[in-house]
Amino acid sequence: MTGGEREHVTPPAGLRERVMAASLGARPAGRSVPEVPGITPDEAFSRAADAFYALLCALDERDWRLHVLRDLDVQGLVGHLIGVEEDVRSALAGDPAVAEGDHVASTQPAADRQAGRPVAETRAGWRQAAGRTLGEVRGADPTAEVAIHGIRLPLGALLVGRALELWTHENDIRRAAGLSASVPDAPALRLMTELAAAMLPFGAMKTGLQGPIDLRLVLTGPGGGTWDIAIGGGAPEPAAIAIVTDVVGFCRLAANRVSPADLDLYVTGDSDRASAVLVAAAALGLD
Amino acid sequence: MPAALCQLWLDDPVLERTAPTRCPAAGNRARFPWVEPTDALLKARLAAGDDYALAEAFDRLGPAVYGAALRVLGEWTAAQDVSQDVFVELWSHPDRYDPAAGSLRTYLTVLARHRAVDVVRSEFRRIARQERNHRLTPAEGLPSPGEEVEAAEAAGVVRAAVRLLPDSQRQVVELAYFGGLSYREVAEAIGIPEGTAKSRLRLALAKLESVLDRQLLELS
Repeated sequence: MTGGEREHVTPPAGLRERVMAASLGARPAGRSVPEVPGITPDEAFSRAADAFYALLCALDERDWRLHVLRDLDVQGLVGHLIGVEEDVRSALAGDPAVAEGDHVASTQPAADRQAGRPVAETRAGWRQAAGRTLGEVRGADPTAEVAIHGIRLPLGALLVGRALELWTHENDIRRAAGLSASVPDAPALRLMTELAAAMLPFGAMKTGLQGPIDLRLVLTGPGGGTWDIAIGGGAPEPAAIAIVTDVVGFCRLAANRVSPADLDLYVTGDSDRASAVLVAAAALGLD
Repeated sequence: MPAALCQLWLDDPVLERTAPTRCPAAGNRARFPWVEPTDALLKARLAAGDDYALAEAFDRLGPAVYGAALRVLGEWTAAQDVSQDVFVELWSHPDRYDPAAGSLRTYLTVLARHRAVDVVRSEFRRIARQERNHRLTPAEGLPSPGEEVEAAEAAGVVRAAVRLLPDSQRQVVELAYFGGLSYREVAEAIGIPEGTAKSRLRLALAKLESVLDRQLLELS
């Protein structure tokens, strides 16, 4: 027995409850520390756009020819994103064709238009397109409903999703160019994790995950937090599981850029169900 | 994503704490590798606002923290107060714990001892003030039951602190403060000059803190 163990004394009954109540009175559960200042969804999009543009400006001519994803090189990917901005503005105007369109097919013409175009023009074209989007959404009601590419969602959620998309593609290019990965700042990450956590039940529906599950999702690091999420419903005794992982890794998972096996995971509860939840998170495909 | 799903999201936002009533038990390792629970992971969970992590910390380390506080204070009510302070501190400022510097157990038990000694010091000063005032002020009726309980608890922590003093000083403090003897009576009882009794008492008061500080340094 060590000296420290000799000091062990069973605490009196009720002390645990007293400690928990006093602690949660000092700081509610779910709130991370240090606290992250809040930003608006359009600010998150603006910051992601700035980071993306800074990367484009840092690339040399040869980098623009690097293959990035699908059949797109850097210039094609930027063209795809020009198309996305055009579709967003059409969606804001209530265009029903964009509401039902496919994210890739709808933007392919814009990607194709970049072939043979000077990269400086493509870069400037994307900056102008993102700037026009920002001009339209700044000050707009973030709860206003927008329908785009088969999705109907609040404008705020769309902008956060777009920020996550830009960050993801920025890192697609970084990986292709052999550059180190970037991480959004904590306020932007916080919005992204809230979005991914909120959409998790629908990822579960996409993958056919059987509920009900009481999920505690703990995302560690700046911009993270703790969420209790009900997946599925109906049965009186839901399976309780807890998943703990790094906030940036989880966002990459939600963007379908890493697999659950790539993450540092700590899980309690039914591990098979936990694995299925992680697969559901990857199925969100928020890129 | 199918439109119907996202429409559902619009109708029924899920970002709401549903507060599961039970902390899930550890499961078997399955399709993906899980990391082992470490103090660094516990700290990260606390920082993320995971109150299950706090409950786990209490279940694992509560006996050590409570025991450390009780050892210094010798009184269970004050030891509970200190234990509560220690865990509230951990929950409010998990960043102050550095896993590279040592285990969470060491951090919390040292914190508990520091807090307990602070309590002893504070109570000792308060009792000393009360004693001085009492000798200068004529008694006005009997103390209330609440005052008696408070005085008994305070005396408990003071006695615990005094036990840490060298015998010669402890003897003087016990006779003067707990026995209610004057300097002259203390001197006569021990068989020393009155001036020596005074100097021993002054030395005891001053030395109490240094003795406790040294003990804490050794424990740290």
